[in-house]
Amino acid sequence: MAKRYLILEDGSAYAGEGFGAGATTSGEVITNLSLLGYQEIITNQIYHNQILIFSQPAIGNVGINHDSYESILPTAKGMVVRDVTNISTNRLSRLSLDEFLQQHNIPGISGIDTRHLIRKLRHMDGPVKGSIVDVADAHAFDQLNATVLTNRQVDQVATPKPYPNPDTGKNVVVIDFGLKHGILRQLSERRCNVTVLPWTASAQDVLNLDPDGVLLSTGPGSPLDLGEGVLEMIRTIQAEIPLFAIGLGHELFALANGASLRPLPVEYHGSSHPIRRIITNDIIYAAQGQGYAVDDKTIDRDRLITTYVDLINGTVQGLRHRDYPAFSVQFFTDGAPGPHESRDLFDEFMEAMTAREG
Amino acid sequence: MAKVVVDAMAMQRALTRITYEIIERNKGVDDLVILGIKTRGVYLARRIASRLQQLENVTVPVGDLDITPYRDDIEHDADSAEPEVTAANIDFSVEGKKVILVDDVLYTGRTIRAAMSAIMDLGRPKSINLAVLVDRGHRELPIRADFVGKNIPSSQHERIRVSVSEIDDRDAVEIQQA
Repeated sequence: MAKRYLILEDGSAYAGEGFGAGATTSGEVITNLSLLGYQEIITNQIYHNQILIFSQPAIGNVGINHDSYESILPTAKGMVVRDVTNISTNRLSRLSLDEFLQQHNIPGISGIDTRHLIRKLRHMDGPVKGSIVDVADAHAFDQLNATVLTNRQVDQVATPKPYPNPDTGKNVVVIDFGLKHGILRQLSERRCNVTVLPWTASAQDVLNLDPDGVLLSTGPGSPLDLGEGVLEMIRTIQAEIPLFAIGLGHELFALANGASLRPLPVEYHGSSHPIRRIITNDIIYAAQGQGYAVDDKTIDRDRLITTYVDLINGTVQGLRHRDYPAFSVQFFTDGAPGPHESRDLFDEFMEAMTAREG
Repeated sequence: MAKVVVDAMAMQRALTRITYEIIERNKGVDDLVILGIKTRGVYLARRIASRLQQLENVTVPVGDLDITPYRDDIEHDADSAEPEVTAANIDFSVEGKKVILVDDVLYTGRTIRAAMSAIMDLGRPKSINLAVLVDRGHRELPIRADFVGKNIPSSQHERIRVSVSEIDDRDAVEIQQA
């Protein structure tokens, strides 16, 4: 394998070995602390245009399989790992990680002490830009410094057109901000007749489909870049139809109901934080990926109830409207990857739709 | 053969949803009191109260209503006596309160009618709402539940059995063919 470099905008360079595609790439570097699920992670569109650093030292050892795609095309910009394995004995494996990255022209770099790197990144003000390059010279750093990070991520990954995922059960409209397939998979398992709408859909577009429930999907980037229109849509819909919002959708639901967001000092991407379900006072685990959190102090208690809280960093992880069957969670409830125990939020959504029918 | 129609997880979820619906309907928990109908309604009432406590950090008064002599979910003939419901363990006033009446199974509606009479004997509540874990149909009186965990359309020959972990070995709702 060819010698390549990971360079960061602070001028540091890390030598490693290239795998996957040989392309030169630049993007925001993001740390992921999950032990499992690299395929789901690199195909999750929340990592659009980002270079992923994995703390899990062995990556690639289960190959790539049919069941773990979270999007059709991965749009992450690169992978930084300690050791990459190209031998997989997993019975589901269809191709190696290396082959997969080559197919999609995504470069990877291995042989990096990622845990050391992650510790260092914790003390840098984000977002931190990085590149995977062949030569770490002044030209490469100039190129990196000239790279402008986009704030149009949702536009770039979310569907521009409606599409159906038909079945015979509840009629559910999913608003796509860059959804992960796990959400559609969970709805399919519950026989939902799904229509996915672009995020620019108006409340009337949604209501015209006469849905039993509406789901606001996960997605990349900052909800503050999406404008007032989508918040207006949420306020109209939540008063009419049971609403369930996840990830970016949760952040938008909070904004629509008067709360503010704050950027986290360090983004958190992993699945090791205990999350307290307040109503039953028990603990669940789930995959999380967030750069923003709902600011607890700005929550209007007359409108919203806090339903879940992260016990490590104290962030709000779930909200519910006081007046309507409308609720949201920050974490990923589809268990792809991660623990499955929060999947029953989809059952809660189903039951909210049933209760509405009376 | 008993068939489990609501498992422990689903029962937890149903009580959670009912709790949120109570908050939605009542615009909060002010003036709320919860009365559980013995035996299993009492435990369900306490669970709802503990959920409200967790969410709102408010202690909602919980009381019990005692019912004799027949169980609504046991097959009975038309001549059986009307159920009698008496207040037990209610150490607060219901006057002007929003009462949430909690029972495990809603069937003929006769227990609920008797429970409402018992509550009225204690004072004049502002309102009475009914929360049940299971609505199995076959009403004989014009009574309906405001909060329903699960609608289980059933035959009158079937038995619906609710188990709660406090006194039974687990949380479950089962249907038994007679």
